[in-house]
Amino acid sequence: MRIGTAHETYAQAEALLDTNVQRFWLIAFLILLAAFPFVANQYWVYMACLVGIHIVSVTGLNILTGFTGLVSLGHAAFMAVGAYTVATLEIRVGTPFILNLIIGGLVTALAGILVGIPSLRVKGLYLAIATIAAAVILHFVFANSAFLGGTRGLSMPPATIFGYQIARPSQVYWIILPVAVLSIVGAANLFRTRIGRAFIAIRDRDISAEVLGIPLLRYKLLSFALSSFYAGVAGGLWAYFFRVVTPESFPLIYSIFFLAAVIVGGMGTILGGILGAVFMTMVPEVLKIVVGWMTPVFPNAVQFLSPVRTIVFGALIVLFLLFEPQGLAEIWRRVRRFFHLWPFRK
Amino acid sequence: MTLKLSRRSAIAIALAGTVTFGSYGAARAQDIVLGGSIPMTGVFAFAGVAINNGITDYLKIVNDAGGIHGRKIKYVFEDTAYKVDTSVAVFNKLTSQEKISLYYGDSTAFAKTINAELLRRANIIMAGASFASELNNPKEYPFQFIAGPDYTEMTGILLEYIAKTTPKAKIALVNSDTEFGRDPIAATEKRAKELGLTVVEKIVTPPTSVDVSTEVLKLRRADPDYVIFHGYILAPLPEFMSQAKQLGLKAKFMGTFWSMDNNIWAKSADVADGFMGVMPYRYYFDTEGKSPMLDQIRKMRPEYQSTGYIQGFLTAMLLVEAAKRTLADKKELTAQNMKAALNSIKDFDTGGLIGVPISIPGNTLPVGRVYQYDGKAQRMKPVSDWIDLTKK
Repeated sequence: MRIGTAHETYAQAEALLDTNVQRFWLIAFLILLAAFPFVANQYWVYMACLVGIHIVSVTGLNILTGFTGLVSLGHAAFMAVGAYTVATLEIRVGTPFILNLIIGGLVTALAGILVGIPSLRVKGLYLAIATIAAAVILHFVFANSAFLGGTRGLSMPPATIFGYQIARPSQVYWIILPVAVLSIVGAANLFRTRIGRAFIAIRDRDISAEVLGIPLLRYKLLSFALSSFYAGVAGGLWAYFFRVVTPESFPLIYSIFFLAAVIVGGMGTILGGILGAVFMTMVPEVLKIVVGWMTPVFPNAVQFLSPVRTIVFGALIVLFLLFEPQGLAEIWRRVRRFFHLWPFRK
Repeated sequence: MTLKLSRRSAIAIALAGTVTFGSYGAARAQDIVLGGSIPMTGVFAFAGVAINNGITDYLKIVNDAGGIHGRKIKYVFEDTAYKVDTSVAVFNKLTSQEKISLYYGDSTAFAKTINAELLRRANIIMAGASFASELNNPKEYPFQFIAGPDYTEMTGILLEYIAKTTPKAKIALVNSDTEFGRDPIAATEKRAKELGLTVVEKIVTPPTSVDVSTEVLKLRRADPDYVIFHGYILAPLPEFMSQAKQLGLKAKFMGTFWSMDNNIWAKSADVADGFMGVMPYRYYFDTEGKSPMLDQIRKMRPEYQSTGYIQGFLTAMLLVEAAKRTLADKKELTAQNMKAALNSIKDFDTGGLIGVPISIPGNTLPVGRVYQYDGKAQRMKPVSDWIDLTKK
């Protein structure tokens, strides 16, 4: 427990933020996020949108893999389900975008339940392979369905609100930001409930959890459903952001990207999912900027250092796994601890 | 653990932030800027590096000659790793930093994704590495073009050749199960029928398939005169051809642009002997006729340059030509003006990169020629004259 945070009620003990300092910084951060599109150029706003979409998706995968201990390599395919649902609704039905996002999430949750059925019998690598198989089946359906545009996919109009088009990154930002915040708050609260604690119990020892009265199938499927709902919403946001959805938009490597984000960020922590998504999305861009700085000295820096940049990114991930297996969230906690005692601790 | 923030490091951080978030490396006001989302890493890096060299070399030639109307062409690009979200990020980044008029995109997915933004901006024309038939639609993609024939036109050129050399021939189509691979299937079937050719088999394989024995057996049963591959670079073509030869198939094997580079066949020259395909440009080593641009390329780069290089070089040439004609007409460099200028290109001499004068009435250059790989010489050699589909 931190100094000066003695809890006198259960509500205080359960609160997500337990000090005024935390609340202040959170509000300041939210104000900063709200101001961001007004001060940053289109590129940074675009990257912020991409990070936001990835945060929603990674948070979903974290619920399944980080908190429930079920490995999935089909997360990108679930995003594709959400993206196709949203694109189809937008093109063929014309329902409001918020409803489309929710339906996209629900349809994906159903797909997640179907894919999650084998999770009662198999886990670990076996479950990972089962989810890859599901992703292959989904890819086949998307590529061969004339209704979904076949291999050419679907091109969709932008989201509209009261006749106003939300097309540019600086506009889509205002959809992605609240959805990302809601998804984080939702996930954080989930683990203060019986359901969330049941997920953690299943992760820690599923047989013991069952002995304690947690129905494994129901909770494992619920975890798949929730995780897929997040993926579906992220896929829907992706569809509104890029406005072209093809079977090749969500390859297996994208699922690996999300899994890497969960691991690098810190499995089983909400903050870890956020930091992992930011790290995996932004580090390649930051490395590009570093390479760009070398251009005045080495005119062909971009050409010659691009492969090096990829190696550095890979090496960074390996180093994290070696030296900080608990992920970026643990580093963040250490930095916070340092400042809690600063300047009294040497 | 101690954290010390000196004034010097604070200034350094502030400077880094300014450079990062602000615009840097801006072009001189008069420069015309060509931007590029180029795949320098990833699965398409083999082409991206070559394309980049082609663009760089052409712009060097133009700038060394004084630019166009006294204005230099500046080239800015970044690596995309052949990922569409990164390609769009690069586009947003470069357009935030520079006033870009011309753009090179790396994929069909990028061309489709960025189209809405091109329409909104209306100040950039774009071409790229994609030859997708879908882009050959001036109504939907008014500010884009393809520096060659689209995939349907490529197979169309092959069909013209087949119909001429082997009337009523039987054809098998082998395509990868991707957007790229499936692109021309329906149109090829239609055109084959019009030309009196019969499509006897259609095979779709995973793009990275290794074991093709069942597909080769299908080919054997169909016994085609020609097999047209599309949607692959190299694998599984050598496997297909070697197994087919072992089974005694007499069919001739053909490919489209991305499987037609000379170097990719060098390591399997025996299998590749006789492999044919469509090529919109002359090869680096072609010496027939007058080709001053190829001479210049060979002077600048004495070693073999791939077909990707020529594609990048020609694309840069056409983009610059569009800007040049727009400025010559004393018009603003808007997308509409530049595309109109591009479409005014008629009987244009590419300096021998293409063996006939070219015209761009729409979004493509529907010209090409059939080459055949000579295993002994380890070179692609022309076996047809230039085929211009606009004149068919």
